Amino acid sequence: MFEHTSGFRVFFWISLVCLTAFLFFPLYWMLNSALKPASDIFELSFIPHRPTWDHFAEVFRDREIRRYFVNSLTLSIASCVFTTIISAYAGYSFSKYRYRGRMSFMLLFLLAKMFPYAVLLLSMYALMLKLQLLDNYLSLVLAYVTFTLPVGCWTLKTYFDGIPDELIESAKIDGAGNARILHRVILPLALPGLVSVAIYGFVWSWNDLLYSLTLVTSPEKRTLAPGLILSYLGEAQQDWGGMMAASIAVSLPVTLLFLLLQRYFIQGLVAGAVKG
Amino acid sequence: MNKSNRGLRLTESQFGFLLLFPALIVYAAVLLYPLLNSTYMSFTDQTLLKADRHFVGLANFRALWHDPNFLDMFLHTVAFVVGATIAPFILGFIWSIVLQQGFKGSKWLRSLTLVNWVLPGTAISFLWMWMFQSNYGVINGLLMKLGLISENINWLGSTNYAMAVVILASTWKGVPWFMVFLFGGLQAVPREQLEAARMDGAGNVTAFLKIIYPSMRPIIAVSLILGAIGNLQQFDLQWVMTEGGPARATTTLSIEVYRSAFREWDLGKASAIGLVWVLIMGIFAAFYLRHMREQLKS
Repeated sequence: MFEHTSGFRVFFWISLVCLTAFLFFPLYWMLNSALKPASDIFELSFIPHRPTWDHFAEVFRDREIRRYFVNSLTLSIASCVFTTIISAYAGYSFSKYRYRGRMSFMLLFLLAKMFPYAVLLLSMYALMLKLQLLDNYLSLVLAYVTFTLPVGCWTLKTYFDGIPDELIESAKIDGAGNARILHRVILPLALPGLVSVAIYGFVWSWNDLLYSLTLVTSPEKRTLAPGLILSYLGEAQQDWGGMMAASIAVSLPVTLLFLLLQRYFIQGLVAGAVKG
Repeated sequence: MNKSNRGLRLTESQFGFLLLFPALIVYAAVLLYPLLNSTYMSFTDQTLLKADRHFVGLANFRALWHDPNFLDMFLHTVAFVVGATIAPFILGFIWSIVLQQGFKGSKWLRSLTLVNWVLPGTAISFLWMWMFQSNYGVINGLLMKLGLISENINWLGSTNYAMAVVILASTWKGVPWFMVFLFGGLQAVPREQLEAARMDGAGNVTAFLKIIYPSMRPIIAVSLILGAIGNLQQFDLQWVMTEGGPARATTTLSIEVYRSAFREWDLGKASAIGLVWVLIMGIFAAFYLRHMREQLKS
């Protein structure tokens, strides 16, 4: 695409070096700080001279953090399952059926990403308070499904668009009903799309702070993001090594999930966003 | 769905609509009702402290208009959204061009880059707080060693620097996202036209301006709009790193709405700010919808 002239080479190498440093040095620094013993943490050394797992051990020994972890996992799995199912149905509906209002609904779905989350939260909080559903994961799952539906549904619509109608027609000739065709023929074919939507839903819910901070009120139900803030911020003497170890621990599940399945994820994300 | 087996047969389009139904119910509960209710609340004096509320007309909006903090917050929001959209866009564009050259390890580098983007906002905030920590942070340490500063800077405690640090953290998170979009755009640049331009003696810059940029324009537009919308929603970084401070220096719309509602318990005020936000969002939404409708038609 670009001719590798000397000017381009200079641009290439400078960009490569600078951006690599910018993007990866912080990650390295996080690990470096997490591995330093508490006595070395304030030294400006780029290699931990006496590496230790103490900070990680402390994070995993912490009963509260363990509970936050389990809570986040439960919540994220629940919202990821619902997001995937609802997105699949809606995406299939948009892709293969024609009915009045379809276009308007599709545009409405696009808009959903734009409604200010903080503003929706106000009424949701007031409503949940009235219904006594505060501190109930149902409200969180509902919220997360809503916010992940637009991307989820459009990703899958694009996927279904790529599945030829003839396949559906021939299944019909064989006597299969609409529901059977969807569940037995179409969904298995759309597996990569489903996987990417599921990861997206999981990551969204795992990373959310705003909603989990407000809609969860008891320590028993508290999830990771607000939990970590409570555990590590606000103390006079901040435990930076512990904070870095905890940050790595929270990041690990989403990072691994993502690295393992990223091929699907990027495919789905770009397809949904670009082709429309 | 089992209804068809019990004799009640759905037509094709009815079945299609039925599939959409769960999504519509969720939307009604989480989008439609809260939006309408927030709009109503903005005309009341509802708080989270007492059960009753009264209609107060435009009082909340009038209060905002006279609130000197409101304009301030507005400018912070603009600064944050512009900075945190443009910076990662430019870096992400450069990064996508670099990775597109397909050198050894570039694929590996590309997947690794994306890690920044899936990390929880809380972890990212902790990391950047630590790097910019005033006494022992690595940034101050490096700047001192290089002799660029003579004493430590209290980055996050300073009204001059706090916003820049938050934007930097957001940029770090945002580069991969833009890279993915723009990488896809680069791949889709028509090769034949590019070859033809090369035959005519076009250099890199000419090829970029005449062929690459025009063919990427739609994707650039979408990425910028979506990026700006996302940044308008951004809450975690500002809240965890500075709680909107110091002295409101990093207070953006989302922080202000949150603080009015859950620190001052004033739902009326929070909703009024929220309504202003929805109207601003409407401008972005109009651009985006116009763009998407054209795409859908073609």
